[in-house]
Amino acid sequence: MPNLTTIVSVAGASFVASFVEAVEALTVVLAVGLARGWRPALTGAAAALAALTLIVVALGPLLSIVPIRALQLGVGLLLLLFGLRWLRKAILRAIGIIALHDEDAAFQRGTRELSEADGRDAHGFDWLGGMTAFKTVLLEGIEVAFIVIAVGAGRGLLGLASAGALAACIAVAAIGAAVHRPLSHVPENALKFAVGVMLSAFGLFWTGESLGVGWPGGDAAILVFVALFLAVALGLVALLKPRAAALA
Amino acid sequence: MIGPVVKELIGLFVDDELLAATILCAVALISALALSGVAPGWLVGLMLILALPATLVASVLRSASRKTRSE
Repeated sequence: MPNLTTIVSVAGASFVASFVEAVEALTVVLAVGLARGWRPALTGAAAALAALTLIVVALGPLLSIVPIRALQLGVGLLLLLFGLRWLRKAILRAIGIIALHDEDAAFQRGTRELSEADGRDAHGFDWLGGMTAFKTVLLEGIEVAFIVIAVGAGRGLLGLASAGALAACIAVAAIGAAVHRPLSHVPENALKFAVGVMLSAFGLFWTGESLGVGWPGGDAAILVFVALFLAVALGLVALLKPRAAALA
Repeated sequence: MIGPVVKELIGLFVDDELLAATILCAVALISALALSGVAPGWLVGLMLILALPATLVASVLRSASRKTRSE
């Protein structure tokens, strides 16, 4: 029976990470909708969700035949690659070494490029718009599916992780449908910073579990690893930001 | 269509190649020590706790110094 720490950390990590991915997908679907029309945007997005469902239904049962230690090691390693990559990028953005991701700029660039391009067939269906929405929603959806597996599979909490991800996607879709604008006010780098910290902490935990480490405190050790990665990341920002600012 | 999708999927995990290689090497080495029975569980845990944040620090410092040199 999972304790409260596990439930909150699994559902929370899944929600926040999926929220960021859903915001990125929404930006492109909105750009397609406004530049090329809502029919290709929604058709592409719906086709991607259908393809994603097929992939999950086809590959999902394979998870149950993988031995738990091998699953934990594989998931732990992928989480470390994914989480530390996000955290590195978020630190470099916080320092000012690479530019912050700007949803408004991405939206305007996407809208402009889509407006200028052709791509309608003889029947009037806009394949360019449809494929753009399809590809983006599929890729971001695969990222969400991976996040759900990564944070939920090690403890058999896929349902909980899926609920967190689904809630995030519904929230973003609802906000997007209401405002018809990219969610540029979402503090994306802060969210990516938090997600990088959480995924790295989960990755460290699962990798250790797979190698037979008995972490003191059980699942609560994840919180200690969150604090560890957070301290390291904030320390790097505090150390390097003044130097980067002096160079600017 | 498939090529760019596969490339983007790999890009989910690999951005800085050296960071990815360092993580893989660190986990492979620690796994070898753990699975061969050379290192007890507590030492494996300690090595992971030290090595993984260290890979992050090294990668960020490398990117920062590269930026400093280029300016």
